[in-house]
Amino acid sequence: MEFGEEPSPALAFDKEAFELTVEDVYDISYVIGRDLLKISSTGEEVSDLQFRIVRVLEMFETLVNKYNLSLEELKMERDNLRSELDRVIKEGSSAQGTQNAGPNQLVVDLTDPNRPRFTMQELKEVLQERNQLKAQLMVAQEELQLYKSGILPQAEPPMVEVDLETPENSPAPITEAKEEKTTIGKLFSFRRK
Amino acid sequence: MAKKTYDLLFKLLLIGDSGVGKTCVLFRFSDDAFNTTFISTIGIDFKIKTVELQGKKIKLQIWDTAGQERFHTITTSYYRGAMGIMLVYDITNAKSFENISKWLRNIDEHANEDVERMLLGNKCDMEDKRVVPKAKGEQIAREHGIRFFETSAKANINIEKAFLTLAEDILRKTPVKEPNSENVDISSGSGVTGWKSKCCS
Repeated sequence: MEFGEEPSPALAFDKEAFELTVEDVYDISYVIGRDLLKISSTGEEVSDLQFRIVRVLEMFETLVNKYNLSLEELKMERDNLRSELDRVIKEGSSAQGTQNAGPNQLVVDLTDPNRPRFTMQELKEVLQERNQLKAQLMVAQEELQLYKSGILPQAEPPMVEVDLETPENSPAPITEAKEEKTTIGKLFSFRRK
Repeated sequence: MAKKTYDLLFKLLLIGDSGVGKTCVLFRFSDDAFNTTFISTIGIDFKIKTVELQGKKIKLQIWDTAGQERFHTITTSYYRGAMGIMLVYDITNAKSFENISKWLRNIDEHANEDVERMLLGNKCDMEDKRVVPKAKGEQIAREHGIRFFETSAKANINIEKAFLTLAEDILRKTPVKEPNSENVDISSGSGVTGWKSKCCS
């Protein structure tokens, strides 16, 4: 062990316990060994104590060594986890743009006022209702025309029948109107349930 | 007993790629007008036009479908009720012509077996932009045994002819029901009701 111009090995005694390195332990051993030599020169009965002190210093060396290695490992693990976290966060934010969706999925921008909101079934129902209302309007218009032209003096069943049935949904509304119903009654009779 | 303003009701359907002019073809026929602005049809729409054929008043209810694939499930549910289907392509759009087989397959899958079919090559006024020769349209129509017209909704070429021909073809197949006591129309004396006979008379 070389000391050269290094500071006095006794300085190791002033350090915080958790900051000690193996070198500090050697410095401490050196100082204690030097002091023990002074003691041993004056009395033989300290011999056992010397061996015990050496033993304690060896244990101290092992503990400091082990502590520092563990600290180093934990620091490395912490750094790995930190960079892993950064990577995951980065991926997460870029995935929000476009990539998160599977091959048959669509990413919807919830801030887009024009984003898709309704299902095909809902659209289908709205269209069916629109077309039914359109058909009813035609019925009413045609009938109004007939009344105006004086062809129809009395309330009679509708002139126009437009079949709006689709395969899935067959309410067959127009055809079920009863004879005694008024024209308005008939119009309302094929309103959707 | 109601006096009917028509004798028969025919339901027709227009199909074909988006932008080939289905809505314009129908608009020309129903309103005799043409609009250059392209508004994509949402799902399904219809128009009514009454024509007279062989002394019979025939009300045509013509369903106009969206050509866009995303409306496919809505539009195909209307195939089955159709008595006649007009398959429209655009003579300036090769892809719309290539897709004819796809549309014909849709008809096979979803429409009635005895549905009357017709092929229309629309936009025939745009001769300078034509990419589908008339002969090719005629050929594919012949292969499938269906009628073919080149039409222009803009220049009003063959539009009425196409619809009337399709209606005539359907009329020819229509079993004309003899008037009976239940369906005789007292006020007008004409008792031909055809499909409508089961309706509220």
